[in-house]
Amino acid sequence: MNANGHDRRLEEVAAYAIGALDPGQVAELERHLAGCERCQEELRWLAPAVGALPEAVERQAPPPELKQRLMAEVRGDAAAEEERGGLGEWLGGLNVGGLTWKPLAGLALVVLVIAGGIGYAVGNGGGSGGAHTTEVEPGANGIAAKVVTEDERGELHLAGVKPLPNGRVLEAWVERDGIVEAVPALFAPDQAGRASTTIESMKDVTAVMVTREPAGGSNKPTTKPIVEVPIET
Amino acid sequence: MPWIGRKDAEAFEVFYDRHGGAAYSLAYRILGERGAAEDCIQEAFISIWRSGGRFDPTRGSVRSWTLSIVRNRAIDVLRGRAGKAPKLTFDDEEVLESRPSGELTEEEAMRHETATEVRGALSHLPDEQSKVIQLAYFGGFSQSEIAAMLNLPLGTVKGRMRLGLEKIRGELAEGLA
Repeated sequence: MNANGHDRRLEEVAAYAIGALDPGQVAELERHLAGCERCQEELRWLAPAVGALPEAVERQAPPPELKQRLMAEVRGDAAAEEERGGLGEWLGGLNVGGLTWKPLAGLALVVLVIAGGIGYAVGNGGGSGGAHTTEVEPGANGIAAKVVTEDERGELHLAGVKPLPNGRVLEAWVERDGIVEAVPALFAPDQAGRASTTIESMKDVTAVMVTREPAGGSNKPTTKPIVEVPIET
Repeated sequence: MPWIGRKDAEAFEVFYDRHGGAAYSLAYRILGERGAAEDCIQEAFISIWRSGGRFDPTRGSVRSWTLSIVRNRAIDVLRGRAGKAPKLTFDDEEVLESRPSGELTEEEAMRHETATEVRGALSHLPDEQSKVIQLAYFGGFSQSEIAAMLNLPLGTVKGRMRLGLEKIRGELAEGLA
């Protein structure tokens, strides 16, 4: 390419650097740039000039509400990400629909020990035929849980549940003989953060847990439990 | 920016505190409306947050990368509007920073210095060069569109754009010397 031809290219590089090259010319220039050190050097040279242009703009203070909205979305994303990450770990030992749920063999003991993480369970009553209550104190997410079992019927009560995002419900699950089953009745917290559901049969149940699920519920847990209650058998 | 991959919300807040002001100012300069500028910033910063760390440090600073994302988003909004009507002024006062220098941190002071240099460089440019650069960068117009708008031959616009950018770059280089 002769000098005049390259001057034309250098003009195109300047336009490319500032984002003003006509769209139909971009691909051709990029092909040229890939093999032309002189044009690459020109692009590198001009980049700070283009990058400095916004610094000269009159400074406007963004409204505080903008940051609040942005960070609310970011924190929501981060929480969802954490749930997804935790779910993978949680499901690592969990099989739903006929396979065993290995961690729960020792979960009751673990939950009792890790009081700071999940809470701990307290049983009372417990006489055959009488009511038996198992409580889990608030963990890091502030949710407390109580399962009241009488005869074979159970009532699950939660407190400290934050409002659910649109399109989400609470779904309870029970582990019975190593198999995880969904509790049919979906539920949601009230304005005070309380939520309750009924478990029709607590026979042989060794743990109750709750997850946030899409409206209509899920066939298997899709998020990490917000609470887990080991049941003494 | 490894915190993007880690989804560290606290680090992201620091990142916003550091660059959000410049980003919002740029969006407002391009869009000319506070509501549109806020939407632009929200979308641009969320795209950065969700990008999973596509930033390439070999191609410039985090700040220039961030501002280029904001600029592109704002220009997209501008182009999406019926009868594209960017807020463009050619008054030198438009590019003055208003904060007193006593409030600036060292990092901000360097940016203030850069802003002063760029402002100086822009003010030293012949009007015809400054105009094509501002139409291109803040208006999102292509060379052909600028040529049609100003009723100039395309070659003239190309030449003015390159000369103007070269002069700004030269003044920045002198400032660093």
